[in-house]
Amino acid sequence: MEPPVLFTALTLVVLAVLWAATFNFITRERETAHQTAAALAADVADTYEAQVVRALREIDQTLKLVGYELRRQPPQQVLDDLGMQGLLPPPMLFTIEITDAGGGLLVRNNDSDIPQAKADTVPESVRSAQDMVVGLPQRTGHDEWQLRFAQGYRDNQGRFAGVVSVLVPAAYFVSGYEPSVMGNSGVLGMIGTDGIFRVKRTGEAISAGDALDYSALAQEDVDANSPASVQSNPWDNTRRYTIIRKLYQYPLAIVVGLSEKEQLAGAHETVRLYILRSAGASLFLIIIFTLLGWLNWRLQQERKRVMEERIEHAKQVEYLAFHDSLTDLPNRAYFSHLLTENMQRVHRYERHLALLFLDLDRFKTINDSLGHDAGDELLREVALRLRASVRESDIVARLGGDEFVVLLPEISEAEQVVPVAEKILTAVAKPFELVGQEFRVTVSVGITLYPGDGRDEQTLMKNADVAMYHAKELGKNNFQFYSEALNTNSLERLSLESSLRSALEHNEFRLYYQPKRRMSNGEVTGMEALLRWEHPELGLVLPMQFIPLAEENGLIIPLGRWVFKTACQQNVTWQQQGYPPLTIAINLSARQFIDEHLLDDIKLALKETGMDPRLLEVEITESMVMRDLQQTIQILQSLKQMGVRVAIDDFGTGYSSLSNLKQFSVDTIKIDGSFIQDIVRSQEDQGLTEAIIAVGRSLGLTVVAEGVENSDQFEFLRRHFCDEFQGFYGNEPLTAEDFAQVVWKQANQPVPD
Amino acid sequence: MLNALKRLGIGFLLWGVTGAGFSDVVVVMSAQSPSTSINREELADIYLGRLNQLPNGAQVIPLDQTERSPLYEEFYQGYLGRTPAQIKAHWSRLIFTGRGQPPQSVPDDKAMIEAIANNPRAIGYIDSENVSENLRVLNIE
Repeated sequence: MEPPVLFTALTLVVLAVLWAATFNFITRERETAHQTAAALAADVADTYEAQVVRALREIDQTLKLVGYELRRQPPQQVLDDLGMQGLLPPPMLFTIEITDAGGGLLVRNNDSDIPQAKADTVPESVRSAQDMVVGLPQRTGHDEWQLRFAQGYRDNQGRFAGVVSVLVPAAYFVSGYEPSVMGNSGVLGMIGTDGIFRVKRTGEAISAGDALDYSALAQEDVDANSPASVQSNPWDNTRRYTIIRKLYQYPLAIVVGLSEKEQLAGAHETVRLYILRSAGASLFLIIIFTLLGWLNWRLQQERKRVMEERIEHAKQVEYLAFHDSLTDLPNRAYFSHLLTENMQRVHRYERHLALLFLDLDRFKTINDSLGHDAGDELLREVALRLRASVRESDIVARLGGDEFVVLLPEISEAEQVVPVAEKILTAVAKPFELVGQEFRVTVSVGITLYPGDGRDEQTLMKNADVAMYHAKELGKNNFQFYSEALNTNSLERLSLESSLRSALEHNEFRLYYQPKRRMSNGEVTGMEALLRWEHPELGLVLPMQFIPLAEENGLIIPLGRWVFKTACQQNVTWQQQGYPPLTIAINLSARQFIDEHLLDDIKLALKETGMDPRLLEVEITESMVMRDLQQTIQILQSLKQMGVRVAIDDFGTGYSSLSNLKQFSVDTIKIDGSFIQDIVRSQEDQGLTEAIIAVGRSLGLTVVAEGVENSDQFEFLRRHFCDEFQGFYGNEPLTAEDFAQVVWKQANQPVPD
Repeated sequence: MLNALKRLGIGFLLWGVTGAGFSDVVVVMSAQSPSTSINREELADIYLGRLNQLPNGAQVIPLDQTERSPLYEEFYQGYLGRTPAQIKAHWSRLIFTGRGQPPQSVPDDKAMIEAIANNPRAIGYIDSENVSENLRVLNIE
């Protein structure tokens, strides 16, 4: 069950129990109060009845006593005697009056100003009655009423002789009213069977004389001991526990009433207290349960929140697993999934899809020059532009680095891809604002179509990659569709690699020799051995085209050995033929330089050919030197020990410091051709060249200029005391035969000093 | 009850201050009686039928003047702080509920003096001018 429902239900149940108990208490309290009041009214009535009857009897006896005495003595005597003997009731309250047969006053035992009964008004009822007659109440003063009890008396002959009366204040009969018992609204009274109240008292108020329908009031059949019933009293419309009881001997009934309101006031107060307490308890319970409910709700909310956070976290993790954190695009794994999915779908409906493979053209430059943050910024911007260039249903993903892919999942023909590709090129080519500068990058796009260009994911991706490379080869910032021809091209590359392996065995490599001449007199001082590959089909292949391949497959090592051996052998041969001893410089590739067998290979070549080590010079580039300084120093020192000279190639393009040059025990530095090329026009290049020459000279190194092509360049270098030069101004690389010719000519044709 | 006592106290005070100037009602007993004084509350209790003994243990019988006597109201008003109507109501209740009878009345001071002089247990009140040798005026404390 839902906790709010549970708590509400629980609260209602507890409240129901509480209020059921409360109402039970209230009912019992009321019932008890009712019974108590009814019983009290009966008690009061019993007491009152006894008191009234006794009072009436005393009066009755007085009347009879006086009547009896009047047969023997005159009236005044009777009253005096009886008074002296204490046989008359206290004159303070009781006045005794004696009249003659005609109603004339004979005597009174106290001279109060009570009006006497008129002589002619002796009623027949008194005259003929055997018993005491209860008169009607007579007003004697303000709120004071008098009751007359009368009885006729007879002379010795039995004749009616007059009337004896006892006059009593009506209040006497209700003086037993106890406010402590009966309250201020109870009633105590005496009513005649004629329906006229002889006296009636409520609180302190005493009245008499009001008439009621006695038969309607009287309850003759009521048992004397039965408790009082509540009725609305007709004389004042007050609800009372009322008892009206007829007296046995007299034509009177007593009236006793206890106000319901007063009698039940205590009970009402208790009830009010119960209700108040229950209400308080209810309020307390409601507050407690509300509080508990609220806390419970809070707890639930908290749990829900934690749950939601976990789900959210899981979603986040999943999202991160399938998306590139930098650009928010799907990553390689997710794209692979999407591609497969789309390929299946397209296959099912016999449609096509296009895969665009994108690679930024100058990304590496930007990343290197502006830093990674700028590079990341650029990638994010590119991602946004790509996303904006395609439809919502198209997929853009980042494979890593600067590689993106775009998948167009629903196309019917290749032509539809063209506008998309153009749009992408345009979007990317717009200038970027990076670190406050404006930049332009371009993108090369390779496109494959499914199923035409590949039936599986791998082929489709690989071919798109090939197409993209083709686009790069075609000058970048364009898009190319994949074609079988492109694949053939890369097949050629494959055959180059395999033919390279056999090239050494087939003796397809040649060494060319470029003379080095002394600046001062143009004399040939040595040469640089240069490697060429005479491909049976492709013709002469330059080193830059196959050396990376050879480095990659390890062929560089045997090739290097061949170069050393061949070059040294050639040099020795020339000397044996009588030519002057010349130095021979051999280039080392990066991989060769760090090969652990390098020194052994060189030693072996020297030993086998018998060439003087001092004539051998190895050329290394600055970048090779800088790779691992410790190792470089070690290798160079070993070479030095062998007597081999060391030259730094392409000097000026790297970052070698002067101190390094000294440490490396270098013999020669070669100024890179690129400086020489613009030396006549560029002030900067002039300065650099001058500096390099000055450094070299100060360290006692031989400074060689490369790529000298004309006399202007030559003159500049000579003016600045460069030692040697090579280049087309002297000689291009020559075959061994041509080189021998040049040297022979020089030996037989002395050069002017 | 507390209110009644208070009223009683104030009445006593008034009487104490002004009493000397009145043609006073005095409370008397027989000269043969050993009592010389009486507490005001005891006096009230005796005349209201609540007490029939003096503090010394002697029985006491109160005698009253008739309602017509001018001393009647003076006595009850002055010594008991009650009006004749209150006295009447008091006895009315006692008689009706059967709990007592009012003191015996005598017609005048002469009858009172006679009744008291011959009965050491009787107590009554008369005009101070009528005090005779065989009577003792009680000091009211």
